[in-house]
Amino acid sequence: MLGSLLRRLRPRAAGDPVVVVSGLPRSGTSMMMKMLEAGGLPVMTDGERTADVDNPKGYFEYERIKDLEKETDKSYVRAGRGHALKVISFLIKDLPDDNDYKVVFMRRDLDEVLASQDKMIQRLGTADSSAAAEAMKEAYRNDIVRTRLLCRKRPNFDLIEVHYRDTVSDPAATARRVNAFLGGALDEGAMRGAVDGSLYRNRKA
Amino acid sequence: MLGGKTVKVKIDRDLHDRLRKVADVAGYATTEEFITHVLEKEMLHFEDAGSDDQIREKLKGLGYIS
Repeated sequence: MLGSLLRRLRPRAAGDPVVVVSGLPRSGTSMMMKMLEAGGLPVMTDGERTADVDNPKGYFEYERIKDLEKETDKSYVRAGRGHALKVISFLIKDLPDDNDYKVVFMRRDLDEVLASQDKMIQRLGTADSSAAAEAMKEAYRNDIVRTRLLCRKRPNFDLIEVHYRDTVSDPAATARRVNAFLGGALDEGAMRGAVDGSLYRNRKA
Repeated sequence: MLGGKTVKVKIDRDLHDRLRKVADVAGYATTEEFITHVLEKEMLHFEDAGSDDQIREKLKGLGYIS
């Protein structure tokens, strides 16, 4: 309540907001980036992480964001004003306060997220020293709540939650909601057309 | 035992009875003290964003953080 009041009263000193596409890895963040790009919103990406079997349509990442937790100079994030920038939920807390943020927060069933992450780790061949599935689910639940709390507390953050399954089953409705959240200037038809339901592979029955 | 101002929170009577029994067995002075302790511990999960090494390890393996 207070957060939304502060947001309304706060002057837009920071220029256009950075549109942050966030969520847990494998929750549909790349799909949302593709939707926004198709809809006409420029995306901030360096193209370093190229498309692969896990993300056949590309990752839409900006490599430097991976160091957001460690780096002290975060001024480069300003270049994301008026752009879509992918930032996983764990790193939202590390975004600098000199920008306004419109956060499109992707949600997906945690069992599906973990199944998809496990497959990705197997394919990458990286060591998975993380906790067992139940402990990871609990950690991710906490991560989601923390992100929500943070976005409510910080007056320069505004958040909308989008469910992956809903987006695949009704892309038009998601395109409409997200476009309204971002001011209504995007091409909803193109956003809708960017959703490829065949990529919904780790689907819970 | 409770410092500062307090507010009333309504909870289910059966749940309160169970809490009272556990608080008594566990040695808390009052049921309120037990509930406050449990809630404060639970809040730390959400407020202490810097301690989640489980997530950090997973994200490193997935290539999402350095």
